[in-house]
Order: sequence, then structure tokens, then C-alpha cells
Amino acid sequence: MKTLITGGKLASASILATALVLTPVGAYADTADGDALIGKSWDEVVSMAKGGEVNWFLWGGSDNINQYVSEFVGGILKEDYDITLNRVGLSDTVEAVNIVLGEKESGVMDKGSVDMIWINGENFRTMKQGGLAFCGYTDTLPNNKLVDWTNPSIANDFGVPVDGCEVPWSKTQFGFAYDTARTENPPKSIAELLTWVKENPGKFTYPAPPDFNGSVFVRHVFYHAAGGVDNLLGEFDQAKYDEAAEKTWTILNDLEPSLWREGKTYPASISAMEQLYANSEVDLTFNYETAGVGLNIENGVFPPTTQGYGLTDGTIGNTNYTIIPFNSPNKAAAMVLQNVLLSGPVQYQKALPSVWGAATAIEVARTDAETQAKFAAIERHPNVVPAEELAKAALPELQSSWISAIEKGWLENVGN
Amino acid sequence: MSAKESIGIRSFRFLTGALLIIWLVLPLIPLAIWSFAHGWFFPNLLPAKWSMRAWEYTFSDTAGVIDSLWLTIGISLAATVLSILIGVPAGRALGMYKFRGKEFVELLILAPIIVPGIAVVLGIHSVFISMGLNNTVTGVILVHLIPTLPYMILVMSGIFANYDPAFESQARSLGASPVKTFWYVTLPAIMPGIIVGGLFAFLVSWSQYILTLLIGGGRVVTLPLLLFNFATSGRNDITGAIGMIYILPGIFILLLTARHLSGRSGAVGGFGQI
Repeated sequence: MKTLITGGKLASASILATALVLTPVGAYADTADGDALIGKSWDEVVSMAKGGEVNWFLWGGSDNINQYVSEFVGGILKEDYDITLNRVGLSDTVEAVNIVLGEKESGVMDKGSVDMIWINGENFRTMKQGGLAFCGYTDTLPNNKLVDWTNPSIANDFGVPVDGCEVPWSKTQFGFAYDTARTENPPKSIAELLTWVKENPGKFTYPAPPDFNGSVFVRHVFYHAAGGVDNLLGEFDQAKYDEAAEKTWTILNDLEPSLWREGKTYPASISAMEQLYANSEVDLTFNYETAGVGLNIENGVFPPTTQGYGLTDGTIGNTNYTIIPFNSPNKAAAMVLQNVLLSGPVQYQKALPSVWGAATAIEVARTDAETQAKFAAIERHPNVVPAEELAKAALPELQSSWISAIEKGWLENVGN
Repeated sequence: MSAKESIGIRSFRFLTGALLIIWLVLPLIPLAIWSFAHGWFFPNLLPAKWSMRAWEYTFSDTAGVIDSLWLTIGISLAATVLSILIGVPAGRALGMYKFRGKEFVELLILAPIIVPGIAVVLGIHSVFISMGLNNTVTGVILVHLIPTLPYMILVMSGIFANYDPAFESQARSLGASPVKTFWYVTLPAIMPGIIVGGLFAFLVSWSQYILTLLIGGGRVVTLPLLLFNFATSGRNDITGAIGMIYILPGIFILLLTARHLSGRSGAVGGFGQI
């Protein structure tokens, strides 16, 4: 460092900068060896984590989530376990996966920079198949008993078996939203939507896949074209795919002239579409995170007259998780963090509409009586469709192989 | 007649100057308004509700914007100084001398501008890991040199192409030491280029995202990292607040160096040598 910088002022500026960033390493145990942790008692794990740090990489685009993580969760970690939580904000989760991937390719097996990632879907598949995940430890976490691993939507992450490689954090389900001041009767099913769009030209669009939200919208149309999802579950089937895909592309291409800007262009991201909705260019919006409607109203992103709703023919749901990379040097601390995140009170805080409003991934019935009472007393944000109501018509996610085929097919047949 | 013409030229110059300022400042106004807005929807000319929330978050410990501001200034200044130290001799060699393989060297120097960063960043990451430079401020400063150096060298080779080394010989023949010659003769002559190139280097380093994220491994959190989190998620209020802070150093440096950037300065004369 010193040898590089020659200007005196700069040297001090940079040394100061280094001091700010490189937190001194404490006397806590290096817990890079995951195998040594499996089978240890929980008390041993906690004592190994004491005095350490954990670097959690997660999407950082919401001040509410950032505050919940840094202040609420970080506060508990510091006070109860003497662990420092370093929240690293991402614009896209794949950035963290790429860091771990790059480290593995360069032979960094025990000094990785990422201790935990908020993850699901394609990124989880990359981590699991690439051997980038620390697996098989989840039974050690005391709060793991609050998780219903017999539920297929928890035990499978976008069709990929979790196999003890990650721990659930929240559940989300896709939902639409409209402005009650502008639209009277929003379409309540995919079939109604397709008619509605043709009757209201220019007032609907969707982000171009492979955008996460645009992609799940196209899957709803795909399910509709296939006459239901039951046929599509399981391994990728080329014949079934071809049949449903052809119908889907016909529907979406027919729809194109009635879309925003005659479908000549599609929004590049969900936030771009949300801005179109907020500024009345389009009349409907949707999101995989239904609770986002409440936060968007509170944060002034959406007009306060926005109302979320589900579809009568069902919407797709998923679970999101936290994962520990194979080369994390702070595995014990990351395990403590995961256990804290799973606990009843911490899940309850996340479910509060003023904090986040995210649906819990644990079985509330397995928590203590006090937590159950608190969960029961949560007042929903009035503009967010209740998770229980959405859950009545929940559709499963497809396996990643299906999803990438649909995304590719859309680009070739519709988005060309 | 000449007085009349010069008034015409002067008012034309004033008008274009004013237009340029409006053109540069106008896009910043909505950013500033957004940072105080609580919701701002078409067709409202101004937000219906005002709020300090974005600024409160920006200055909170959770956001970490202020720590990040000092860190980013430190990194960008260090990258600028290193760029100058490397760029001046390199620019002199390329601007004043002909040698075998010069075109190839020029191409190599320009390569970081031509090749998209995203294509090489994973390779750079593994090189930096093997040198033990990942997750450090030093590593981030060094990796910023990849995009900053082409600009610095480009400007300096332009300067040296128009530079007459005879002045140095005269100073030497009059008994000045090499250090004195550099200090009193060479440096003043190339100063405008150093300022312009340094400004480029600073701003290029200032705006790095993917290189900082990957090489810094999330430990080195510069302002663009914080800014893009919110810019990509559609939070215009917080993006506005962080954005206002983000543009401050650039404006400050621009004001400090403005007089060297006018058309009369020698720095602009020799562009296009490479």
C-alpha cells in the first residue's frame, strides 16, 4: 500500500480509506472448514462464531429491507452473539454468485469474501450444481424445526431440490396491482387480461424476459396456453414444451399491437414498468413480491390509490432462501445469522407491513404462543392482497430447464 | 464595424455558454426535486407531497453514504495520481518518439476502452485473487488504472506531440539539473494536459461499478455501488439524494480546473495524435 502511493496527502487519504474498510480480524475461530462444523452442538457453533463477522450479500434497492437487515437483524447479532453483520448491497444477485464462482476458479477454497447470499431460482441452481454451496448443516440450526421441509414448495427451489444447501427466508407470490382512481374493473384472470388488453390498447406491457418479473408473467400465459400447469411439472419435456410454446407465442404476438407503444419495445426491468404505471402510461402492474405494493405506496413510488389483487386462475409462488458459499471463512457466524433469521420474532418483524410485509417461510403454528398471537394480530396493509387469499390459488414454479427454454423461446419468437 | 462584430461574437459566445449550462444543469433539477419528494406522478409539475426521508436515510449509518464518499474520493485521487505518474512518461514516449511496434503499443493502451469491461472482468478477478489483491482498497485502486490510463496517455501523447524538447536542451545547457529542468521547463508546458488527463482519470475512476464490486468483493463500498442499488430499483427519491452527493466532487474539480479547459488552453490542441 505505502509503496504504491507517493503523494503524502494521498497516502494518508488512502491509508485512512483502508482503515475504514479492512476491519481488523478478531480472535474468533476461522470456520472455513464446513465438515468440521457439521455434527457440532449448537452451543459450540455459537461460541466459535462469537466475536466474528459475517458478510451478507443481498439486493440493496430498498431502504426498508436495508434498515431491517442492518439495524434490526444486525442489532440482534451484535447484542446476543457479538457478531458484526456487514450488509453488502447488490443490484443483482448474480454479482455475488460471480464473486464466488471467480474465487473457486482461482482456487480460493477457504478465504472467500462472501459468507451468505439471499438467493433463489437460477442463481441457486448455479451455486448447487457448481459445488459452490455449503450443504448438509441445516439440522444443526435449532430453528430449523420451524421449517416444514415436507412442503414441496420449501423443499424445492424452482424445482431444484434444496438438499440442505440453503435455508428458507420468505415466501412470495405473484400478484397484479391497479389504480382504483383510473381503472374500474381490472382483469382477474389471464383470459380476461388478454381481452382487456385488446379493449384498452396501449395500457399494458410487461418487462422483457429474462427479467425476473417479465419471465414469470410469460409463464402465467404459458400455463394458460397449456391448459394448466399439472402437465408441465417435472423434468423438461420437449414435446409438451413445443405444443404449449407455439400457442403461447401466438397469443403474445397477437397481443403485441395492443401493448404499450404497439409492443415495438418492452420495458427492460420491473422498475421501469413500475415507473410507467406510476406515471399513468400503463394501467396495470405486477410483481413477484406482492407486499411490494404496500412499500411502494409508503415510499411514494406508487399512487396511494393502488390496489393489489390476485388472479382467479391462480398465480405462481416461490420461496426465497439464504445460502452459505463453500469457501466462506465465517460459516459459524453465517449459521448463527440464518438461525436468527428463522426465529419467530425476527420473521414476525419482517412480516410487519411497516417494515417489509414479507410472508414468513416458517410454520407459525410451530412457534411459541406469544409469537403466534403476534402473527395473528398483524394488520395487513389495506392495499396489499392478503397472502392467505393469494395462497388459495397458488401455482407452482417450473424447473429451471423449463424456465430457460421459455425465456429463450420468447426472445426468439416474440421479442425479436 | 469591428466593435459591432465583437459585440455580436460576444453575445453569441454568451448565449452558447448559457445554453450549455442549461443543457448540463437541467437534467439535474428533477434529481434534486425527487430527493425531497414523496411520490411525484405525471401530470403533476411538482410533487404533491414533500419529505426529508430520502435525505434522512442517505445520512443514516445504515446507508453508509458519507463513509463511502470519503473512501471513493481517496480511491479516485490515488488512481488519478498513479495515472499521472504512469501516463506522463508513456505519453512522452508515444507522442515524441517513433519506435518499432508503436502501433501495437497504442492498440494495447486503447484496448480497455474498446473491449467491454464485462467481458474481461472475471479474468481480471482471478488474476487479482492470485496476487492477493482482491477485497482490498489497493486492489481497487490498481484495477481502476485499467480504464483510467488510456485517457491519461491519450491526452499526454497529444501534448507531447506538440511539445518542443529544445526548451529542455536549452535549460540543460544553461546549467539546470534534470530535476530543475523538469520542474521549471517541462512541467509548466505539460501542465494543462496533466490537468485535463487527470480530470478524465478521476471521473472515470469515480464512476466504476463492476470492477469495484468484483475486486473489492463487497468490502470496498464506493458510492456508485450504493447509487446503482437504488437507481436500478426505481427509488428515485434516494437515487436523487445520493446522486446529489455523487456529483459534488466532479463539479468541485471541474470548477477548480475550469480555466485550463477553455479552448485557448494548449491541452485541447493536440488531440487525435493516437
